[in-house]
Amino acid sequence: MNILIMNGSKSGSAIESRVSEIMSSVSEKGHSVKELLLRDMNYSPCRGCFNCWVKTPGLCVFKDDGDLLCREFLSSDIVILASPLIMGYPSALTKNALDRIIPLIHPYLEDVGGEVHHMKRYKKYPSLALLLEKSGDTDDEDIEIIKEIFERAALNLRSSLKFLRLTDSSVEETANEIIRN
Amino acid sequence: MKLSVINGSPRGASGNTATLLEHFKQGFLEIEGNSFDIINSIKNRPEFAEEKNMFLNSERLIIAFPLYVDAMPGSVKDLFESFETLKGKNPELKLMFMIQCGFPETHHTRFAARYCEKLTSKLGCTFAGAICKGGCEGLTVQPPALVDKVFTRFHQLGKEYGVTGELDSTILGKLAHPEHLTSENIAQVIPMVNNFLWDGMLKKNNALDKSFDKPFGEDL
Repeated sequence: MNILIMNGSKSGSAIESRVSEIMSSVSEKGHSVKELLLRDMNYSPCRGCFNCWVKTPGLCVFKDDGDLLCREFLSSDIVILASPLIMGYPSALTKNALDRIIPLIHPYLEDVGGEVHHMKRYKKYPSLALLLEKSGDTDDEDIEIIKEIFERAALNLRSSLKFLRLTDSSVEETANEIIRN
Repeated sequence: MKLSVINGSPRGASGNTATLLEHFKQGFLEIEGNSFDIINSIKNRPEFAEEKNMFLNSERLIIAFPLYVDAMPGSVKDLFESFETLKGKNPELKLMFMIQCGFPETHHTRFAARYCEKLTSKLGCTFAGAICKGGCEGLTVQPPALVDKVFTRFHQLGKEYGVTGELDSTILGKLAHPEHLTSENIAQVIPMVNNFLWDGMLKKNNALDKSFDKPFGEDL
């Protein structure tokens, strides 16, 4: 199983050690796991030009690490978005990375269960999962809102959100949940 | 009445968000004594000094953005993070949002709107509503009658807001139509968007035959 962790934490975040522990645990169980430390990558925010859909289909016109994000995302079985919660949502580093994977889908629309969504460009996309570090003001409603939004994001990829876990969950349980999926 | 607006669209003054805001503004300014201040591009990362200043010194503020991957664009999230230091510093602020999306159904924007309401409570302001609108992609190529109706409603909403200081729920409801589509409507809308909007743009760029390219792996 190919596991990708997109780590959207800022330097010194407590999520870092948790990610390392989870990576060790899934590796020991024989799975391939890779981490992209987003803060060390160079990618611009998406500017919504749609050139990746209508000019250079499937490729962003920005020549930065956006291509690497797309490539790694697509070659994974599951992508874990690991991020601290800031103002009730995963970090801007994480959101900017997600915005840059839109070249992986097609602009055409289609009917998906009675709702309009974009068509797939590739046959298969990874499952999504969230590993989140609470902030002082995080409450249950924040978690519910995030879960709903990422279920929608996964639906756009014809994938699913496999789990949302907080960093205070046990490493072993999180690792087992990744592998189960 | 003074209204401040932050346009969080990465396309800035040339995007659909700006166009819709312009119609709202024109209606709002029809009322004598009203004034309107807008920041049309949020590029002052990570400080966002101008935007923070607007937040702190406004009584009424709309933050507008297009839906990106089911939420606010990453650049707008960056802005929200910069507001963390402003929590509780403008309790008098009436904060509103305008969220538009390319999908024909407005329903797609509701999840981000729920987040925006929660964000407002974290900031310690009053949530004064969200203007949600689907069907905004390709406004320039949609039939003029449809587009005019949307623009007129934004104008009416702005005018009514300019009089009452409240977002009119009836106009919000009309703007949000369709919230969902029937299967018959979906069957009509999809070819229109795919053939007129996307194929038109692909043809213009000589890229129609490459539309389904898979640059990260033909077998994937």
